[in-house]
Amino acid sequence: MTLANVFVKTASDRWLGWVIAVVSVALFLLMGMATYREIDLSVYTSLPEAFRSLIGIGDDIDVGGLAINVMFGTWGAIAMAGLALAMGSSAIAGEERDGTMDILLANPKSRTYVLLSKTGALVTSIALATVALWIPIYPIAASLGVEISGLEVEALTLHLFANSVFFGLLALAIGAMTGDKGKATGITTAIMVLSFFGVGFLPLVDGGDAVTKVLPWYYFDGSDPVTNGIAWGHLALLGGGSALLLLAAIVGFNRRDLKGQSVGTTMLDRIRGNPLLNRMIGRLAGSARVSSIWLKTISDYQTLVLIASAAMFLVMGVMMGPMYASIPEETLKTFNELPENLVALFGGGDMSTPEGWYSLETFGLMAPGAVILVTVVMGAGALAGEESRRTMALLLACPISRNRIVIEKLIPMVFYAVIVGFVTFAGVSIGSLIPDLGMSIGNIAATATLQTLVGLVFGSLALALSAGTGRTSIAIYGAIGAALFFHLFNSLGALNEGLDDLGWLTPFSYYLGNDPLNNGMNWGDAAVLAAVSVILIGLSFVLFQRRDIRQRG
Amino acid sequence: MVAATHAQARPAIQTVGLTKYYGRHLGIEDVNLDVSEGEVFGFLGPNGAGKSTTIRTILDEIRPTAGSATILGLDTRAEAVEIRRHIGYIPGDLALYPNLTGMDTLQYFANMRGGVDWTYVDELADRLDSDLSRKVGDLSTGNRQKVGVIQAFMHHPDLLIMDEPTSGLDPLIQREFQKMVSEVAAEGRTVFLSSHTLSEVQRVADRVGIIRNGRLITVESVADLRSKSMREVEFVLDTEGEASVFESVEGVRNIVVAGNHVEMSFGGDMGELLTTVTERYGVADIKTTEADLEEIFLTYYHEDEGEEARS
Repeated sequence: MTLANVFVKTASDRWLGWVIAVVSVALFLLMGMATYREIDLSVYTSLPEAFRSLIGIGDDIDVGGLAINVMFGTWGAIAMAGLALAMGSSAIAGEERDGTMDILLANPKSRTYVLLSKTGALVTSIALATVALWIPIYPIAASLGVEISGLEVEALTLHLFANSVFFGLLALAIGAMTGDKGKATGITTAIMVLSFFGVGFLPLVDGGDAVTKVLPWYYFDGSDPVTNGIAWGHLALLGGGSALLLLAAIVGFNRRDLKGQSVGTTMLDRIRGNPLLNRMIGRLAGSARVSSIWLKTISDYQTLVLIASAAMFLVMGVMMGPMYASIPEETLKTFNELPENLVALFGGGDMSTPEGWYSLETFGLMAPGAVILVTVVMGAGALAGEESRRTMALLLACPISRNRIVIEKLIPMVFYAVIVGFVTFAGVSIGSLIPDLGMSIGNIAATATLQTLVGLVFGSLALALSAGTGRTSIAIYGAIGAALFFHLFNSLGALNEGLDDLGWLTPFSYYLGNDPLNNGMNWGDAAVLAAVSVILIGLSFVLFQRRDIRQRG
Repeated sequence: MVAATHAQARPAIQTVGLTKYYGRHLGIEDVNLDVSEGEVFGFLGPNGAGKSTTIRTILDEIRPTAGSATILGLDTRAEAVEIRRHIGYIPGDLALYPNLTGMDTLQYFANMRGGVDWTYVDELADRLDSDLSRKVGDLSTGNRQKVGVIQAFMHHPDLLIMDEPTSGLDPLIQREFQKMVSEVAAEGRTVFLSSHTLSEVQRVADRVGIIRNGRLITVESVADLRSKSMREVEFVLDTEGEASVFESVEGVRNIVVAGNHVEMSFGGDMGELLTTVTERYGVADIKTTEADLEEIFLTYYHEDEGEEARS
């Protein structure tokens, strides 16, 4: 009934994700305004331009502006663009990978019709979600007595919409042109993440300002729309870019061969493709990857881990040290004068020291983010993934217990969490040694260890949800949602005494709470994180043991 | 052959009052099955009848709402892992790992269970004309199914449980598959085969269970089913035939006499019919066509529907 056509089906397939995102952002906004209301914001006016650019706030900041900028303009924008990206990459390439494109195109509809329907659904979903995001802003502000009448909320909303459409269409276009969902997701994510951070970082470095203008994210908030109103030129660029992407998608999709249910090519496959290497490696690794469930799982996730590790090692690790060294002296000095609780909001630490810099830039968000991404994807895929691909039936036809399947899925998750932690450690160590920042290697190791442990907490949560429900979507949304919630809770706790008393509830307070980059390992914190993981893992065994295996996804 | 001596000692599969509800939706109800060792048991029913639910329940993929089951004398809940050492399984709607080759796939499962005879794998691949060097994701449905079949047979399991195993296989390969099933039975091993196509089961099964709407309607030997069933009989006599002679035999219907050519539908004792005919006529030729199990299948369904309508 609701699946009247491609448009409606595409839009309805994803409604849950959008609803969760909209509700979360509204809750974050509520939390943010409630917290900022409690602190003296006069400090912001004295902030140096460079720092404000880093944290993304404008000149005449007030409670409402700060909350809306951080919660709506940053988290909301990332969530919306991320969902648009997911929807865009599934639109064409996803249907090909699932093998459903053939049957869709067996109907008397042209490729262009299918593509435009999907684009329509994408844009409509984004529009509805954006409106749904905008609606609660005024009631939330009014209920907390926060003044936002001077802010250009609608301008920011419109920018957010255009930005999400751009990233959605970028993913859709790459998918339509290549038929490769992995490529569509990967490339778009890379562009999104790099441009988001680029817009934050580059202004700190000489000549960096000019470079930000090539980054799409610049046209979202580079003009500070919440203060300055709509920047029509920027919107036109995002809109024009989107239109070009759509055109490229139509042309590309119409010209190429459709892919059947596709098969991922792993690095190992490419190596094996070379006849010379094949004979050598085929014997070693070729049979190794199917020698057990855990080795196969390791091989299944190698690409994801490779990307996450490379990003952590190079960008967040090695490059951060020299970048820190290139920040002008006077900027660093002003960092020193920032109020403590304000800095705590952005990950803590004294920004004028390399430890503080790395705490904020690398370990604050990206390092736990990378390890959580890996563990959650693996934890969610572990059991629910085999069920949705319907391969669990064959695994369970082998003489191995359900507990052993959980164990063999758990080992790779722990292994890769350690790998990501280790490469972060290696990257940061090297990054600090290049300009010789004099950081303690032992403390870096301690911080990376806690980073791995905090990742395992959320990975274990995903595993437990996966074991209990057999549904990957619940496991992923649940664990990522929990991670975002606790991260914000932790950040805001630093500003709000009421929340601070509850700080022990969030796993993140056991991660950077005792500033391991300066103070070294806190074994108590490590024990708490490990204990939480162990409890969740134990729960996974119990839940999986009791449940009916799902036959379909 | 060792297994065959156990035939009477323990059933290969036994279910007692096996019931599975999905919430309020009925999967199967009060299914009582008894499959002996060494037999080929056909499990028949239309789509959605509860075949897969029964199989998934006895394999401990899903848990019964009521009742219990044993496989080779082992409890399907408590001794699930031990059971899996002795079985080969093809799930209905088979899914494999698309990025593994056929050989990778077999190695993967072989590593988990051990006891795989690789020369037998080669032989099976050869017989089924299966290219194991290609990625499963690049294979057609039928060729993917072959990998599933090899996977189930490769370790010489004592019991093969196959949920619609021939779906997607071409007739030539289906025949080869039937031969493989017969060989397994000849070695005293057991085969449990679900299907909605009767012709498939007809050729290989000793007994057949018919399931519909989650309930087991009947279990009969294929021979009994056949003897009960109608067949078309055609006589060519040395003189002109008379309908009355044939009508005196019980079970004769729809008789058509055309000179010395007599055709009828017959559902009685073939010996009696032959005696009666040869007493009166010289027989130049006889031709009988067995009624398809398809007809029997429909007969059972209609009976069942009739009962439901009456009650």
